[in-house]
Amino acid sequence: MTDSSRCSRRLSSVLLAVLVVSFPLQAPAQRNVFNMPQYTETIRITSIEFGTTKARDTYLSGSTYMGNTYGLESDGWTGFAPYRLFSQGRTHSNVCFSIMKNPRNGGRTMAFWGHEYVGFMWHALKYSKYDLLVGPAVMCDLGILYNQQNSNNPVNYEGYVGGGICVDNTFRFSYFGYDMAFQATLYVPLAGLSFAPDYDQPYYYIYRYGGYGRNLHFISPFNNRALTQQMALVLPIKESRLRIGVTVDGLRNYLGGHTHMLFDTMFTVGFATRYQSKKWDR
Amino acid sequence: MNRIRLKFVSVLAVLVTALLPLSCAMEEEVRNGEYSDTPKGNFMALWTIMDEHYCYFDLKKEKLGVDWNEVKTRYAASISDDMSDRALFEVLCKMIGELRDGHVNLTSAYDYGRNWSWKTDYPANFSKDLQNKYLGNDYIMGGNGYNYRILENNIGYLVVESFEETMSDGRLNVMLNTMALCNGLIIDIRDNGGGKLSASESLASRFTEKKVTVSYTCYKSGPGHNDFSKLYRDELSPAEYDLRWIKPVVVLTNRGSFSSANDFACIMKPLENVTLMGDTTGGGGGMPMSSELPNGWVVRFSSAPMFDADMNHVEFGVAPDIRLDMKDEDIQAGVDTYIESACAFINDKLVNF
Repeated sequence: MTDSSRCSRRLSSVLLAVLVVSFPLQAPAQRNVFNMPQYTETIRITSIEFGTTKARDTYLSGSTYMGNTYGLESDGWTGFAPYRLFSQGRTHSNVCFSIMKNPRNGGRTMAFWGHEYVGFMWHALKYSKYDLLVGPAVMCDLGILYNQQNSNNPVNYEGYVGGGICVDNTFRFSYFGYDMAFQATLYVPLAGLSFAPDYDQPYYYIYRYGGYGRNLHFISPFNNRALTQQMALVLPIKESRLRIGVTVDGLRNYLGGHTHMLFDTMFTVGFATRYQSKKWDR
Repeated sequence: MNRIRLKFVSVLAVLVTALLPLSCAMEEEVRNGEYSDTPKGNFMALWTIMDEHYCYFDLKKEKLGVDWNEVKTRYAASISDDMSDRALFEVLCKMIGELRDGHVNLTSAYDYGRNWSWKTDYPANFSKDLQNKYLGNDYIMGGNGYNYRILENNIGYLVVESFEETMSDGRLNVMLNTMALCNGLIIDIRDNGGGKLSASESLASRFTEKKVTVSYTCYKSGPGHNDFSKLYRDELSPAEYDLRWIKPVVVLTNRGSFSSANDFACIMKPLENVTLMGDTTGGGGGMPMSSELPNGWVVRFSSAPMFDADMNHVEFGVAPDIRLDMKDEDIQAGVDTYIESACAFINDKLVNF
């Protein structure tokens, strides 16, 4: 085999791989707009997000800040072996950035945060027009708020690492002859760990003197109420799938003597991709 | 069976959908904790922020007779909902001014609310013109407000205008190397308004050969006036792998030495070869933090008190080892009493060594 033919084959493979990833593969059985992935299959929906965020963190300020938010979101459904209890995997990842102002437009707070949720789903109900997935989820929520006006308390951490529950619904229906799907997903953390300064403890003191025992908090719905809720419509556009929706993301906790709240409402637009996961074939 | 399943599905769907208003309610609940953006609301917000976070109420009551509840009653009478923003700002500034703390400020578009009586009520003991005369025109700029030269009597003279920035290790090494043959070093922190604690500690670490307990600190751990964390001991360690100074050092202080400069005086005082000369420092022993009123005005307050090595508060300043006053006749004659006294002290120490 000559070098040029080897190069040409490699180029063809790369092009084929790009095509496979870029366009949904239409399995013959997939007549509906959004069927759950079978074993070795993965559906991934990558979306852009835009919306508004409200934040109030009494460690930084007594005021509620509000501003525009932009982000990226990625949702995934993966089919595991059907004989397993958790026959589906569900992931939700996002990163967001927001610049917020106080009610008098006098101060500015910037926020940067992200989620990584991984759910192990039991296919609780399976109908031709409805799927209900329920299962435990590992949830990681990390973010910071930066208040530009403050002196020795300019930044605070928002988030938690823990476990919770995930509920995922998919309704399939037709409207004027178009197949569509409505999806509603809910993540709720039930237990975990979070970090917070001890009342007026400056971060400089945490860095200098340690004593992290007072900064790590066990969280439960009693002191840390949080949820991520997605409502989305999946529409067929030629061979592809367009997903438009709303993601509501709320975190409110009371840790270290301060209230921390981050609440965003985001509109999402993205495309779905269904592909075979090669790693399952090994 | 299918009907039961369908009902179950319907109930679940309704539950999931119904949780959206629930998340909105969670947000609404948080908003209820805020004060209203009215003169009375802003007044109460400021009073409460200070009441729950300021760390020196007991000390101020003991030394200045400030009763924060009495202050509320007195100033609440001046607040009405039809008053202008400017009038409100003046009343609020007067209220927090009762604490006579340089770290307590209210910032708005109108002004930077402050009470600097910790400095203005005392003699300046400092002349910038005289300082410049001693520095001359050919002094060395170490960067970030650290200027130095060797005086005619072979004594090093370092002026630290501010601790806003740290002098880099490399530049500190060059400075100490330049002054290696000097008989002693004068560090002038008069009218140094402070900056970063790390900057003052970085400089101080060049003047000790062993680990020394120099101060203690704690922070507010709850809303009560006496809710404090445990005490943390601050030990000053010698700067490893860098040049250190073991000859006599005099630190010149006045009432304008505030905040981190106050901290510098506090941590230098216990060191063996260091002598503090001049006036008591301006204080500012509490590390400040910030919050905000509903109308967006930013309030700064002391929240983490600092104590010296003998567990005394340094909020009202650090007393010098040798008290000095600038003499008018000296000023008129172009002589800085402080610098001349420091030179005489170092020379005297050398003679008696």
